[in-house]
Amino acid sequence: MSAGRRAFLKTTAASVAFPYLIPASAMGNAGAVAPSNRIVMAGIGIGNMGHGDLGSFLGRDDVQYVAVCDVKRDVRDSQVNRVNEKYGNKDCKAYRDFREVMVRGDIDAVHCATPDHWHAIIVIEACRNGKDIYCQKPETKTLREGKLMVDAARRYSRVVSGGSQRVLEDYRGIVDACWGGSKGIVKSINVNVGPLPTDCNKAGEPVPDGLDWDMWLGPAPWAPYHPHRCSGSYNIDGTSWRSFKDYSGGGMTDWGAHHFGGATFAIDVRELEPEEVIFHNENGRKFATCRYPNGKLLHHNYPGRGNLDVESTNETGPSKPVPNYAGTGGIYGDFIDCVKTRGKPFRDIEYAVHTATVCHLFLIAYELERSLKWDTAGQQFINDDEANRLVDVARREPWVI
Amino acid sequence: MTNTDSVGMAAAVGAVAIGAGRAVAQTGSAALDAAFETLKTYDWGSDRGALNPIDQAIIASHGDAAARKAIEKRLVDALAGGLSRSAQDYVCRKLKVVGTSQSIEALAALLPAQETSHIARYALERIADEKAAEAMRDALPKVSGKLKPGMIGSLGVRRDTKSIKAISGLLGDSDIQVAQAAAQSLGLIGTPAAAKELSAFAQKAPANMKIAAADACLVCAERLLADGEKSEALALYKQLNSGDQPAHVKVAAMKGMLAATTRK
Repeated sequence: MSAGRRAFLKTTAASVAFPYLIPASAMGNAGAVAPSNRIVMAGIGIGNMGHGDLGSFLGRDDVQYVAVCDVKRDVRDSQVNRVNEKYGNKDCKAYRDFREVMVRGDIDAVHCATPDHWHAIIVIEACRNGKDIYCQKPETKTLREGKLMVDAARRYSRVVSGGSQRVLEDYRGIVDACWGGSKGIVKSINVNVGPLPTDCNKAGEPVPDGLDWDMWLGPAPWAPYHPHRCSGSYNIDGTSWRSFKDYSGGGMTDWGAHHFGGATFAIDVRELEPEEVIFHNENGRKFATCRYPNGKLLHHNYPGRGNLDVESTNETGPSKPVPNYAGTGGIYGDFIDCVKTRGKPFRDIEYAVHTATVCHLFLIAYELERSLKWDTAGQQFINDDEANRLVDVARREPWVI
Repeated sequence: MTNTDSVGMAAAVGAVAIGAGRAVAQTGSAALDAAFETLKTYDWGSDRGALNPIDQAIIASHGDAAARKAIEKRLVDALAGGLSRSAQDYVCRKLKVVGTSQSIEALAALLPAQETSHIARYALERIADEKAAEAMRDALPKVSGKLKPGMIGSLGVRRDTKSIKAISGLLGDSDIQVAQAAAQSLGLIGTPAAAKELSAFAQKAPANMKIAAADACLVCAERLLADGEKSEALALYKQLNSGDQPAHVKVAAMKGMLAATTRK
């Protein structure tokens, strides 16, 4: 941490040398005037999924990257070269500490694809520095983080988009059927997803040259370096950070962000949070159900039901148009369009947080193996001190939210 | 995420994973005794599954105050007996869930050391007992500058009004991470007394603290408004809507003023 602290002190204390571009925000944000009429962007966490996100934004004529940031030197070196080769110049700079990116006044928007335990800190820091942000899913690591992120977005009128493109793109058939009325009156939907995250007690190995391990851990409890802890592999089998509780909610949040996002969109409860999670244990077969204030049910691993399997009446239900992305270019284009117009993105942070909240409610019910009532306004469990202890985790110094 | 796993594959994996992730309940005393014995030599690289009987005993003891107290005592005793860092980490995670006033002395003893300070807070921050806050308040002036932001942050998350004076004294700390944590935590505490300190600091905040101070004031104002302290909230918003604040801060303050004035 000492190197990071020194760098941060230097950076925030005074000046940082970087090519100064007038941000689009300074010109009204309506796409009127900016260098090359582009949104000036930075990428934080640019390996694995962040590599893909960077490619999607980089391919757009209305975006210009001026900064990339990663705690892995080889990743930031390769990605800064990728950006500079694309533009044919050396204007994009590489950073190890995202705080140095956040204090740059020439950046309009940021994309964040770090491991999940970093998302809330980075999203909130972007908002308080007046930057819009696209954050990969799952957007939160704990229940408490969600409200803080939404509050920060609203406080500063920022465009904050969650990162699941699958919510709209993978489940269109069932979404159209539900929203169009042909499914009838929807009563419940089921999602099959897993596995749950596990503790990680892997023995330490030497930290590879070029990796800032302390910064990778960030707010998570200290642990010795092991390649499986910090691997960004998509496998959730104990060989990637997505497998472990300190950094992820396992498959429940990783794939859950997609599936529950699609399910809550399909049955039109994305603006709501459940008020109860019911834990079932039928002869050792464990599954759970979230109940919404309007009575709709969202099952997890309900026996005998398939993924995104809807239970409904036979009558024809009400019909309304299905929301869609703004602009062109999928979820990335939606975000950029909203940055320009100050519109609300399809995967607005509040919807994304509601999905993540479902995942966390299920995780806590499975952890405690009992049913829980959730106070949506107070953001706490009702009459359950033990469950309320799991609403958040203490962050390792110096990180505070 | 764009990997190629199909929905069907994920469904199949998910359907079997819940049961597989949890060991069969072993709450019998022999299994539990063996797990506590294992804890004495547990270290990084040890089989995490060997501690599952403790996990299961905690789940099984929900609603049974005597059983819960007994297992908490065993965890505290283990902590006091000298454990590896990995074993301390495990015990603190469990005390986060089951810890009461009975655990606080043992956890407080871990606060000053750099290696264990955070994992002690990991438990203490979430234990509602006032003594948990007291332990962190007492530790704050004694711990190193590196550990101070964590202690300050945990007190802020708890909205510990008794620490306002001590935290306010750190707003001007030469370590920017201490100063920023102090501002953030006063914002989280969000009482009129915290607002007074933040307001005074925001007017003279150095350049590298301006955003942190403004953000803390805005967070504080929101808390005040939610708690019915309308005039104090409005005063903070008015202060931020003037001077040389960045545009996005002024807009936020203006929105806050509107919210405050229209709130009944």
